[in-house]
Amino acid sequence: MTTSLFFVQLINGLQYGLLLFLIASGLTLVFGVMGILNLAHGSMFMVGAYLAWYFFEHTGSFGISALISAAIALLIGIAIERGLIRHLYRRNHLDQVLLTIGMIFVFNALQSLLWGNDPLGVPVPQALSGAVPLNDVLEYPVYRIFVALLCIAIAFVMYYMINKTRLGMLIRAGESNREMVECLGIDIRRLYTIVFAIGVMLAAVAGVASAPMSSIMPGMGEHVLITCFVVVVIGGMGSIKGAFVAALLVGLVDTFSSVLVPQISSMMIYILMAFILLIKPQGLFSS
Amino acid sequence: MLFNKRTERIFIWVFFPLALLLPLFLEQNTFYVSKLTSIMIFALFVMSLDYLVGRCGLITLGHAMFYGLGGYLFWMLAPEYTEVNFWVYTFYVCMIAAAIALVIGFLVLRTSGIYMIMITLAFAQMAFYFFSDSIEFGGNDGLFIYMKPETSIFGLSLFDLDNPIHFYYLCLLSLFNTLVFFKLLIRSRFGRVVDAIHQNPGRTTALGYNIFMFRLMSYVIASALGAYAGYLFTLQYGFVNPSMLAWTTSGSALVMSILGGMGSIYGAILGTFVYEGLHYGLEHMTEHWMLFMGILIIAMVMVFKNGIAGYLEKLLEKRS
Amino acid sequence: MFKTNTLRTAVAAGLATLTLSTPVLASDEPVKVGIMLPFSGVYAALGDATRNGLKMALQEKASELHGRKIEFIEIDTEARPERAPEIASSLLDRSKADFIIGPVHSGVAMGMLKVLRGKDTVMIVPNAGAGPVTGPLCAPNVFRTSFSSWQPSYPMGKVALDKGYKNVVTMSWNYGMGRESLDAFEESFTAGGGTIVKQMLVPFPQTEFQSYLSEIASLKPDAVFVFFAGGGAVKFVKDYDALGLKGKIPLLGSGFLTEGTIEAQGAAAEGVMTTLHYADTLDNDLNNRFRASYKEQFGKPSDLYAVQGYDTGLLIANALNQLKGDISDRDALINTMANTTINSPRGDFTFSKAHNPVQNIYLRTVENGENKVIEIASPMLEDPARGCKL
Repeated sequence: MTTSLFFVQLINGLQYGLLLFLIASGLTLVFGVMGILNLAHGSMFMVGAYLAWYFFEHTGSFGISALISAAIALLIGIAIERGLIRHLYRRNHLDQVLLTIGMIFVFNALQSLLWGNDPLGVPVPQALSGAVPLNDVLEYPVYRIFVALLCIAIAFVMYYMINKTRLGMLIRAGESNREMVECLGIDIRRLYTIVFAIGVMLAAVAGVASAPMSSIMPGMGEHVLITCFVVVVIGGMGSIKGAFVAALLVGLVDTFSSVLVPQISSMMIYILMAFILLIKPQGLFSS
Repeated sequence: MLFNKRTERIFIWVFFPLALLLPLFLEQNTFYVSKLTSIMIFALFVMSLDYLVGRCGLITLGHAMFYGLGGYLFWMLAPEYTEVNFWVYTFYVCMIAAAIALVIGFLVLRTSGIYMIMITLAFAQMAFYFFSDSIEFGGNDGLFIYMKPETSIFGLSLFDLDNPIHFYYLCLLSLFNTLVFFKLLIRSRFGRVVDAIHQNPGRTTALGYNIFMFRLMSYVIASALGAYAGYLFTLQYGFVNPSMLAWTTSGSALVMSILGGMGSIYGAILGTFVYEGLHYGLEHMTEHWMLFMGILIIAMVMVFKNGIAGYLEKLLEKRS
Repeated sequence: MFKTNTLRTAVAAGLATLTLSTPVLASDEPVKVGIMLPFSGVYAALGDATRNGLKMALQEKASELHGRKIEFIEIDTEARPERAPEIASSLLDRSKADFIIGPVHSGVAMGMLKVLRGKDTVMIVPNAGAGPVTGPLCAPNVFRTSFSSWQPSYPMGKVALDKGYKNVVTMSWNYGMGRESLDAFEESFTAGGGTIVKQMLVPFPQTEFQSYLSEIASLKPDAVFVFFAGGGAVKFVKDYDALGLKGKIPLLGSGFLTEGTIEAQGAAAEGVMTTLHYADTLDNDLNNRFRASYKEQFGKPSDLYAVQGYDTGLLIANALNQLKGDISDRDALINTMANTTINSPRGDFTFSKAHNPVQNIYLRTVENGENKVIEIASPMLEDPARGCKL
């Protein structure tokens, strides 16, 4: 592999990893604070992408469409938490898993009903549609660089929120000792609603951001869900920092393995995960 | 008494006689016989998962790996155009699956909780991609089994596997035997230690038991039986496909097990039949069957606190 | 349209025939057409279009059916191969379908073949291109009205050679249809002296193409030949453009790359050259009429899958017409079908001995958002049906 190809693959891997982080961050946040494994997380990613397409078709502006989609996702998250998830806190984890699987079915059916089954596309917004030449053949799309920067920005915002704000303090406290937080008079139920809604919104925002560079189609949620899980588990459930590192790792491993060992590239991320779990059974940065 | 719960006994006295007599009424329509056979085969698989997850507390999302292995192992071992003996190959397939489970269990059982779920998933995914990407094993499109095995013991032929009604009875017999086997296992000393480990691992270790070995043995047994179910599935239509190993197969089995009532074993049969029954009914009624399926699943989770078996037990068990 | 009433109609028909004391004439019973296609999941759009085309054809030809009514029994395969044998046997044993139409996905086709080969029904494949269907697993009662994976890709080899391309990188998903398409291209391309620089197989159904595209850029071939379909095709073409490869390395593909995907691909699809047995812009009477009436009936533009479904309907209608509505003699039915010429929107076609269409393959390029036909890349191309014993 030439140095320039290596460099390009490095950028590819990092950019893919950053997008994975954006998707996975919501999942790990929700699990860390609430102990809920939301299998419908991938469905929210899909909902974000479809909403982005729908509002773009109706408003002609990607930016407006993105904002509306994020807002709707937030509302959906609040509705789901209050309507469904809330009733299962006292039940065991597997019942929660079953509930979220039921939600996957419902989301998939609604997608088919509302938006049909044809693959859809959203064009890249004009302002971001250029490309940066890398070598004499390859260019790198500005939009992908923008998404990568967006993911980094969101990572910083999350870091700041969790470590420097009161809400973040409540989140960290809720993660380590739920009962104590309640005893201290904090309304843990509101905290849970906010956390779940944020988690769901992050997945949808990731879907909106990916829409111009991917294909909006049925099943895109399940596709992304399992990679998401791998990222979250490698990083350590509940750790945002862990999810960040793990996402970059998975992105790089996936990219390089498809070039270096194509015969087993589809298995590589699972081999990586098995390897890490066998050495560090709690993940890299378990909280 | 092997079946100590009243609900369980009622279920068995209703289900099995019904299942025994049904083919006599469905003689004309072998499709229904075959459909019920497939559901029974999957129920066997779900039972093995139910034992692992519900009774041993070992939550795995990779159980479908053994389901698929049951099929692929048979394809690998059996010669393409010769009839082999069903019982002999059942032994081979289950033994090899057990050996593989021994190795994987050894690696996997050192983790717990969500990590065990993920690492079992990892192994299953690796197996899935192995078969899906390899041309030698038929790749994504799967493989055919051309010659079904014959089922003679000491020269006496019992079932003709090409006959759907014979195959139905073979699977019904297998289902019943597996249920009885698990109940015996649970009541045995082995089973009681496993229960103790599930309830309080620390205390059980303090009592001097090697909980790792007990867990490993449970994992091996459940996996071998899961492989047997996959083997039966493959023999039904002579078709093996990587989708048998997919995480969605493991996920469906888990859904059916939870729906039926985790840990009750007979609940697994209930859950599988209810789920498959709803799926079949809904998909013949409307194109958007998924919507209703999802809503029903959500409703059932909210209403049945311990699955369908749990709900029935609440109604039917005498309060002591 | 038909499905929710199907069960009731079937039961009513059954009861009616029981209560009639006079023997029932063949023409009173409906012709049962079983449909097993994906109506949910990734391939749902293809399943929908195929069904629409099928029903439209049978409606159009309703007067030529000699009074036979058509009863449809539809089942969603979800494009899951493991459900194929069960659904196929449902249509065969339970519904006693005269014709079983399906599938879209090649894996499902294999499962169907297992159950339906040599049985008392006629299986018609309206899409799945898997080689074995009209290859080693061919059978008298199995027909295909679409294509074999070899057919659309083989002519592109010569096209590439004519354009002076000597080194080509090929890429597709690692599954039957993908590999067979790339092999077909390689067959004709290398026969004329071309070199395949590298064959890249992406795990199916992954759509992360970045790393592969970067590698292609570093290999600098004269052209790239790919097979992708559906959502994967949308992403591939968009990514190819976004990474700057489009203007510099010509992109060639099996026609599915730009079927049903141009709108989503947008400007990225312009200039992509493909070979396929159909193009929306084919300028003949039949195609123009077909497209207009499909649009009017279903409110959306037709596509390749609709045409294939339509031709399947034509095949059935033709057979019923020629046999004057009596299809009880399966041998006669198969014989009639095998010797039919289908007047299709894609051009007339006949069937090879293996029951695969012998048809024109068109060279197309995307211009202003549609596939414009440049020429016929290969007239009346017949798949070699390697391994078929018919």
